[in-house]
Amino acid sequence: MELYAPMIGLIVVAAVFAVGSVFASSMLGPKRFNRVRLDSYECGIEPTPQPVGGGRIPIKYYLTAMTFIIFDIEIIFLYPWAVRFDHLGLFGFVAMVTFLFLITVPFIYEWRRGGLEWD
Amino acid sequence: MTAPSIEYAALLPMIIVLGAGVVGVLVEAFVPRRPRHAVQVGIALLALVAALVQVVRLRDTEIIGAVGSVAIDGPALFLQGTLLVMAIISVMFFAERRIESGGNAFAPAASSLPGSEDERVLVRDRVLQTEIYPLTMFSVGGMMLFPAANDLLVMFIALEVLSLPLYLLCGMARRRRLLSQEAAMKYFLLGAFASGFFLFGAAFVYGYAGSLEFAAIDAALAARVGQEGLLLAGVGLMAVGLLFKIGAVPFHAWTPDVYQGAPSQVTAFMAACTKIAAFGAMLRLFYVAFGGIRTDWQPMLWAVAIITMVVGIVVALTQTDVKRMLAYSSIAHAGFILTALVAVDEVAIAAILFYLAAYGLTTLGAFAVVTLVRDAGGEATHLSKWAGLGKRSPLLAATFGLFLLALAGIPLTSGFVGKLTVFAAAFQGGAMPLVIVGVVTSAVAAFFYVRVIVLMFFSDPAPEGPTVAVPSAWTVVGIGAAVVATIVLGILPGPLLELAEQAAVFVR
Amino acid sequence: MNPTSYLVLATLLFTIGAAGVLLRRNALVAFMSVELMLNAANLAFVTFARMHGNLDGQIVAFFVMVIAAAEVVVGLAIIVMIFRTRRSASVDDASLLKL
Repeated sequence: MELYAPMIGLIVVAAVFAVGSVFASSMLGPKRFNRVRLDSYECGIEPTPQPVGGGRIPIKYYLTAMTFIIFDIEIIFLYPWAVRFDHLGLFGFVAMVTFLFLITVPFIYEWRRGGLEWD
Repeated sequence: MTAPSIEYAALLPMIIVLGAGVVGVLVEAFVPRRPRHAVQVGIALLALVAALVQVVRLRDTEIIGAVGSVAIDGPALFLQGTLLVMAIISVMFFAERRIESGGNAFAPAASSLPGSEDERVLVRDRVLQTEIYPLTMFSVGGMMLFPAANDLLVMFIALEVLSLPLYLLCGMARRRRLLSQEAAMKYFLLGAFASGFFLFGAAFVYGYAGSLEFAAIDAALAARVGQEGLLLAGVGLMAVGLLFKIGAVPFHAWTPDVYQGAPSQVTAFMAACTKIAAFGAMLRLFYVAFGGIRTDWQPMLWAVAIITMVVGIVVALTQTDVKRMLAYSSIAHAGFILTALVAVDEVAIAAILFYLAAYGLTTLGAFAVVTLVRDAGGEATHLSKWAGLGKRSPLLAATFGLFLLALAGIPLTSGFVGKLTVFAAAFQGGAMPLVIVGVVTSAVAAFFYVRVIVLMFFSDPAPEGPTVAVPSAWTVVGIGAAVVATIVLGILPGPLLELAEQAAVFVR
Repeated sequence: MNPTSYLVLATLLFTIGAAGVLLRRNALVAFMSVELMLNAANLAFVTFARMHGNLDGQIVAFFVMVIAAAEVVVGLAIIVMIFRTRRSASVDDASLLKL
């Protein structure tokens, strides 16, 4: 049980901070209500009218999603290595560096070919 | 903890090929467009030749390396060598630029919309598709690992590494891009579906044996430890995945569409190499891991072999497109090879190794000939357009005729020796009904191959018939190698047969 | 904890996935069904790893997740390519004329 005490403490602190800051801002902040404030928030730009049924998602979305998936999932191999880092020793380290180099290669390719530019 | 030992020397051929793929990706990123094509072709060929040299150097190796997960032994090395030879010829076909007036057979950029302004500009500027070379290297690397895989996980990874680049390669044709893209999607969806079956089957086998390694699975089978139902379900599901890759009936639906839609050079590569890799993997899995329960899986493969031969031949008879005809012929050939696979002995392994080499080279040549017969729209693949080709271009028609005779298994060609060894192995293994079906279907097959030859030589050419493109040295040398191999293996099969017999022992 | 129920669940998921590929006409949905099949296999692997008390099955699950991601990317690339090509019918005609 003692092992869990710091975690529980952290959860309590996080909860107090989250609830507290919402509560504090509602207490301390100025209260002005107008159309802009009550409108849905879309990253600070004018909300775009959405067609019924959702409409088309731009192709860029899929390209970004693909990039995200492929580089994000590689992290999975870092987890077991990170957990047993001290036991795996030099072999594990060299293997992981090799692996990271290999996934950097497609990243470089994508960057050079302009896959990371939005337009 | 001590570091696991990895036998890098024995794995070197695969490391070279996959490394060349990685270097190829970096070339794509940094080398300017103009010299890029030459650099990529150079890297690809250099790596393949270097890997082949390494395979020859390793010829007598018999080890299970990389902590039990990869077996480098006779069959693995024989198949890796065969694959590398086929891959070298395929890359030579990919490098052909004369028949598309400066371009290669691939869309300049796979991402450009067909018929768009983008595409027109790219074609006008003669931008060359170079990403195919790294993709091919990755695929070849996976193919080399597939027959060497000695545990379920590595086998699955190899399956995916060989498949994923192939899906993309199929969708990159320069002409008839919609057809090509549809072929890619069909291949992808069905391929992923089949690998799902393979993986779920692997899970069941692991559940039965408690281990992924083939040797441990074999031991568990001998001890009869687990639940029989689990094992049989696993074997069946894994067989589905592998039978799909070799294009056996009833898992063949993708073959004609994909062979037709993909660029013919890719079809050649795929028809030859995927079959070699998949049969290699199937041999090892069923002989080394599941050899102990052969009486359980033999009936299943018997049935598959029979319907594969019959359906392949019967449907091939009705085809009017050259590429589809060759696709159904490849299905039938998968059936012929399966007849030997059910025999489970070393004679069968040797027969299959020889057959794969002979068939692969012939089929590479046949598809390469298809790339040369063209009209205004690209390749003229409809059979009616091939009428009278022998009068217009006797050399090309004779070459194609030779390949067809080899596929039919006429004496003095490699196909005859291959069929003979395969049927002999099946006969020795007691699969007499399979041999009978095989011989009958071969006779029927000979009819439709000869029909095409008659069409080429004895009918009048159509008035607006196709022209025969004059290829550069790349294609000429590639087709020449296939012709020489088809004849030499037909007249003097001894050395290669001997090599196959020596190689036909799996390390356990 | 009875491992059999997890295997039953895995088999059910696999069957749903396989049926989805065969019955649905939308490429994206069929593709999602394939992913469901792979994840069903993962569940089976992890369950068997637990039953046998070794880690092999869990390692397989790791690799399968990565392979599935690679497959997603290749599959999405192919599907997006086709959707882009097909969206405007005129493009389709033009490319057919060029043949």
